[in-house]
Amino acid sequence: MTSSASVVNFEADESTALSARSDRILSAAADLLDGLSRSWLWTTLAHQDLKLRYRGSILGPFWQTITTIVMISSIGVIYAELFHTRLENYLPGLTVGLVFWQFISGMIIEGCGTFSSVQGIIQQVKLPFSLHAYRLVYRNLLVLLHNIVIVPIVLVIFPQPIAWPRVLELGPGLALILLNGVWVAILLGMISARFRDIPPIVASIVQVAFFATPIFWSADGLGPNRWLADFNPLSAVIDVIRAPLLGQPTSPYSWSLFLIVTALGCAGTLVFFARFRARVAFWV
Amino acid sequence: MSFLRLRDVSIEFPIYQGSSRSLKKVLLASSTRGNLGRDARDRINVRALSHLSFEVRDGERFALIGLNGAGKTTLLKVLAGVYEPTSGRFTSSGRVSSLLDTNVGFNFDATGRENIILRGMYMGIHPREMRERAAEVAEFTELGDYLDMPVRTYSAGMMIRLAFAASTCTPPDVLIMDEWLTAGDAQFLEKAQRRVESFVRTSSILVLASHSLELVQQWCNRGILLHQGRTLMIGPVEEVVAAYRRLIEFGAPAGLATEAAGG
Repeated sequence: MTSSASVVNFEADESTALSARSDRILSAAADLLDGLSRSWLWTTLAHQDLKLRYRGSILGPFWQTITTIVMISSIGVIYAELFHTRLENYLPGLTVGLVFWQFISGMIIEGCGTFSSVQGIIQQVKLPFSLHAYRLVYRNLLVLLHNIVIVPIVLVIFPQPIAWPRVLELGPGLALILLNGVWVAILLGMISARFRDIPPIVASIVQVAFFATPIFWSADGLGPNRWLADFNPLSAVIDVIRAPLLGQPTSPYSWSLFLIVTALGCAGTLVFFARFRARVAFWV
Repeated sequence: MSFLRLRDVSIEFPIYQGSSRSLKKVLLASSTRGNLGRDARDRINVRALSHLSFEVRDGERFALIGLNGAGKTTLLKVLAGVYEPTSGRFTSSGRVSSLLDTNVGFNFDATGRENIILRGMYMGIHPREMRERAAEVAEFTELGDYLDMPVRTYSAGMMIRLAFAASTCTPPDVLIMDEWLTAGDAQFLEKAQRRVESFVRTSSILVLASHSLELVQQWCNRGILLHQGRTLMIGPVEEVVAAYRRLIEFGAPAGLATEAAGG
C-alpha cells in the first residue's frame, strides 16, 4: 500500500506581517555574519576545491595562469596590429584587464551554482547559506592570486609611468570586487536554484560582456559613442583596477558607478535573501 | 541538556517541475493575466508535514515510523535544521549530527580519509582536531587501504561505514539517522548500535526513521507514527509499532483518511 502526502493548491504564501518581515531581515543578517565567522571552514573548503580540481596535474592552478598567458600573447599580438598600436602600449592594459576579467567573470559564472553545486551539503547539514558564497568568492580569489603573477612580469617588460602611491587604490578596488562577488554569488545562486534556465542565460551574457567591455580595446576608441562603455558597470570596475597600474587617471565617474552598483546590489540582495533564504533548501 | 521541540510545525513546499521551473513561463504569467497565468500559478504545493507538536528529551531514542511518503524524511530534515518550518516553531539545543542521505555531502573525488576530515568540518570540528580523530574513525570503518581511494569507487555499504564513523567520531548531542543506515551489513549494524547505545547512555538523543520494525524496536524506546504528514500516534515504541501494523492491515482511521483526501 502506498500513499502520497496530501496535495493542496493555494493562492499566495504572502505573510506580510511587519514583525515577520523584520524577523526575516534579522535572520538573513545573522546568516551572513555567522557564515563570515566560520572563515576557517570556507577558506579550508576553497583550498580543497582547488586541490581537487587540479588533482593529478603537475602545474595545478598554474594551468590557469598559462591559459591566461597564451590568451594575452595571442590577443596582444593580433589586436595590437589591428588597432595599429605598439605592443608595449597595448599589452599592459590588456594583461591587467584580462586577469581581472577572468576573476570577475569566474565569480559570475560559478555564482549560478553557489547553492545547487553544494546541494548534498545543504540537504544534510544546517550551515549558514552565506558560507557557500564566501567559499566561492575566496576560491576565485585564490585563482586570481595565481593569475596575477603575470601582471608584474608584463609591467617589468613594458614599464608604465606608475605613480606608486596610487597602487594603494588597488586595495579598496579589490575589496569592492570581493563584496560584489558575495552578493552576486548569493543572488545568482538563489535565482539559478529556482529557475533552471538562468545559468545558460548568464553564461551567454558574460560572453557578450567580454566583447562589450573595454578589455582588449580602449573606450577612447569609441569617440562620440563612448557612452557605450560608460554605462557598463564592468568597465568601471576594470577602469578602477587598471588605471592606477598603468599610471593613468581613474575617472571619478568609474568610482561612483562602481560604488552605486555595489550599494544597489548589496541592498537588493539583502532584501531578496531575507525573503527567500528559507526556501533555498527546497529549491536545490 | 539537549532537546528537540516542535510547536504546531507545518512544512509546505511547492513542487517546481516543468513549467514553473522556467523563467519565461513565470515572467509571462506575471505580465499577462491569461491562461498562462493560471498555468504558472497552479504550482502544486505539497503539505509534507501538518501541525506537528512534540518534544524529544535527553536520553530518548526516538523512532519515526510511517508508510512511504508519510513525511519521515521531511521531519528528519526539520529536526536537523535543514528545513525551516513554513509555519509553527522548531527549537532545539545540542550539537546535531545528521546522517540523512547516503552520500552525506561526500566529495566523490576526494579520498575516504579526506572525506573524514571534510565531514568533521561540516559538523563544525576544526581540521586540526579532526586529524587527531581520523585514525580512530579509520579503524572503526574497517575499510583499510580503501581509505586512500576516492570515495566514488566505494560500494554503498562502504559509504555507509564511512559516513557513520565520521559523523559519530565525537559523541553528538543529537544523532539523526534516516533508514538507509539499515543497508549496512549485520556485523556493522551491531557495531553501530553499540556506539549509539554508548551515546544515549551519556544522555544524548537519537532520532531514527526506519521501515524495519525489528530495528526500530531494538534501537528505540519512543516513537511517532506519521501518516500523510500528520501525527497518528506518539508513545512507547511497542505501541507505535502495533499501531503501524494496524495501519498496514486496515488502512488509516476513517476520519483521518477523508480529512487528508480533502486537502
